[in-house]
Formats: sequence, structure tokens, C-alpha cells
Amino acid sequence: MAHDWQPDFEQLVDEHQSMVFSLALRMTGDRGLAEEIAQDVFLELDRNLGKIESQPHACFWLRRVAMNRSTDALRRRRVHGINLWVEMEDRHGIKVEERASPLGARLEQLLATLPEPQRAALVLRYQEELTPEEIAATLEAPLATVKSNLQRGLKLLRAKAGVYLKEYIRGT
Amino acid sequence: MQNRIMALVLGAAVLAAPARAQTAKLPAPSPVEKALAARAFSVDEVTLDKNMLAFAAKFMAGKNKDDAGIQHLIDGLDGIYIRDYEFDKPGQFTAEDVEQLRKYFETSEWSPLVRDRDRKTGESTDVMIKLVNGKTGGMFILDVCPKEISVVLILGPIRMDDLGKLSSLGGLGALGTVEKSVQDKEKKGGHQ
Amino acid sequence: MELEPMDDFEKELRQTFERQPAPPGMKGKIMARRRVSEPRSHAVLWQRLAASLALAAVLGGVVEWNWHLREERRKGEAARQQVLTALRITNHALNHMNKQLAAHGRAVQE
Repeated sequence: MAHDWQPDFEQLVDEHQSMVFSLALRMTGDRGLAEEIAQDVFLELDRNLGKIESQPHACFWLRRVAMNRSTDALRRRRVHGINLWVEMEDRHGIKVEERASPLGARLEQLLATLPEPQRAALVLRYQEELTPEEIAATLEAPLATVKSNLQRGLKLLRAKAGVYLKEYIRGT
Repeated sequence: MQNRIMALVLGAAVLAAPARAQTAKLPAPSPVEKALAARAFSVDEVTLDKNMLAFAAKFMAGKNKDDAGIQHLIDGLDGIYIRDYEFDKPGQFTAEDVEQLRKYFETSEWSPLVRDRDRKTGESTDVMIKLVNGKTGGMFILDVCPKEISVVLILGPIRMDDLGKLSSLGGLGALGTVEKSVQDKEKKGGHQ
Repeated sequence: MELEPMDDFEKELRQTFERQPAPPGMKGKIMARRRVSEPRSHAVLWQRLAASLALAAVLGGVVEWNWHLREERRKGEAARQQVLTALRITNHALNHMNKQLAAHGRAVQE
């Protein structure tokens, strides 16, 4: 397949490494695992560089593979009765009170408590600012499913954040 | 990190009956490997016999610290046989494929050490060792995930301490970070 | 499809979920692993070198000897990279196995 644009692997790493890492981090909640996933994603990109047709295609490809690999990693990892809130603090290495916005820090933690399909939809919507159609293409999921996950995920997140806000206000 | 395996192997070595040592030979590829390779989107195949390993070790001698570590690891080995198949989605291979693969390598010289199965996810891990004169004469790992199959066969006297240092050797990736995460979790006892 | 404008909560989400920078050194690790797994650049380099030396060999026997040495080095490097690939996959399999065993060990404890 002939195309004029030639991918530069190192440039693609420079441009997209924070995107790939952040996607893996928000899906898995584990910095070490997210870095491993991010490395694997770029090595897979290297193996498939000939198929990348353009910059937007590279971005789309990286997002899709990052999400796939994150989901795979979550499936492989065993989670038994972990206190996710505590673990999120430890993994991110940032104490809640150190963040500029305590609500923001708590939202990160709450994200990890959502079911994976909702988490994936929300991360792509609010981190990557994708439309539902773009999210559906990235996740290879039906549009209706994506919209439903966005709606439910947002509703759940609001409800949990609402509970937290009330507690936070009472605490001050 | 590999202490679990090392403990099992050393324990098995104590109980083993002495056997006459001979240079082990690498097997021919199993029939199912060709089928797996045809379905995989990424295939890594490494076959290094004793001569090739000696040649590589000689090439690594006197280089940097990491190469010296690797040279020490492979020094004296009879062969390395690696197959890694990555698939673009689950369901590209069957339990029967995996069983055929395992049976092909599980000859009478090999003793099963680990047999771990997860029926829900279909993941499994098999580890076998070969004991020669009470010492480890080979190790076999068959690691199966929904989208990846790895076959690792190492023949010859394996230094388990050196195997445990694999992740710290440069150029092999940051997999040690993942292992550290598991260790950290275990230390904190956050998985009750 | 036109999206509804974001409310305050969604704006907070957008701000919270900004991309985080990749860990320092991650790019270096990627490039290092890439060199281990894909010796394409080496193959091109050695191909070019072999072509130059082949031409020079017409002019003198000393060059022919140097080519032989470099071929040996090329083969050595190829063998080295095969070893690194093998060990990388071994490391990966062992790590996965350890995670499985650790997780099932915890499950048994529970």
C-alpha cells in the first residue's frame, strides 16, 4: 500500500507517549503496569509501522491498542478484595490532600471503581475528548453501547462524587 | 523474584535419583507450532543450539556489565528453544492446541513442577524440569494467555540465581517494575 | 453528532483527566527494547558495509580479510540479539507465571 507520509517511530513515541501511558494508567490504576503496557504498545507499533498511513491513523491505532492491552492486563491481574481507594493513592504516589483539587483526586479514585466498559468510555471522552462515534471506532463497540456506557458511567460517577462532596463539606 | 521456582527446583533436585549426563538436543518443531504461527499476528522463534550459544557468549565476553551477566547465564547451556505467538484476539487457538503443545514436550525425562489453570480466563502455566545427576538439566515453561502463547525450553545446567536476575539486565525491558508492583502489594498485605 | 455542552461536573472531569506525562526514561526503554527485537538498522548497516568491502576486495587481499572479521562480528551480533530476544520472552513468561501463582496463593488464603 503506497502512501506519501513516512512514519518516524521516534517522533511518534515523543508525540504520543503521554497519551498511551495515561490511557493505560487510568484503565489499570497501576503506574508500573501502565508503563509496561505503554512500552508494549509502542513495540507493537514498531512491528506494524508499515500499516500506519498518517498521523491521525497513528493516533487512532495507538489509542485502540493501548485500550486493548489495558483491558487484557486487567483481565490477567487478580483483584481480590482490594481497598481500591487506598491502592489508588499508593499507585499514583500522590496523596489525596496534595492534589490541587481534592475532588479531582477523588474522581481519579472513583474512576477505578467503575466497570471497565464505562471506565473506558469515560477516559476516551474526557481525557481524549473523543466523540461517541470516535470512541465506538476506537473500542470496536457499537455506538449505542458506547453511549449507554457514557451515560451510565457519568451518572454513577456523579452519584459517587456527590456522596463524597457532601462528606467533604461536612469535614470542613 | 524467581525464588518460588528456585525453591521448587532445588527441592526436587534433592529427591532426584542420579542419572548419566549427556548433551541434550533441541527438539524439532512440533506440528502444532506451524498452525499457531499461521494464525498469530506476531511470532518470535529463537532456536540456539550449543554451538550458537557458545558463539554468542564469546561475542559478549569483555563487553558491558549486562552482556557479561547474560554471558554468565548462557554459559554451558546446551540449547535454548523459544516460541512466542501473539494473536490479535482471543479464540485463535484451542485448549486442544495447548494440550498438543504440552504433550509434545512432556517426555519421560521431564517432571512437572507447576500446573496452574484458570478455567474462567483460559490462562494456564506449566513448568517442568529435567534433572540430571541431581542437578537441573533443563527447564520448560508453557505460558498461555487468551491472546498469547509462550514456549520456553532451556536445556543444560541452569543457574537459578542468574535466572532470577533476568529482569535487572538491561535491554530486557521494564518487566521488573511489574514484578516489583506485585512484591510491593504483597508486602503491604493489601490483598486480603 | 452534536454533543451537549459540558456542565461543570464534566468540565471538572476534563480537567482531572488531563494526560499525565510518561515516566522519565520510558522512551529510552522503548528504544532499547526496539533495538533488541528489531535488528533492521543493523542489517542495513552491515549490508552497506559488506557492499563497500566487496568492492575494495578487488583491489587487495587485506580488505578481504577485514570483511571476514566483520562478518564474524555481524554473526556474533545476530546471535547476541537472538539470545536477548529469548531471555526477554523467558522473563515475561516467568513474571506472568509468578503473578498467577501469587494471585492463586492469595485466593487460597482467602
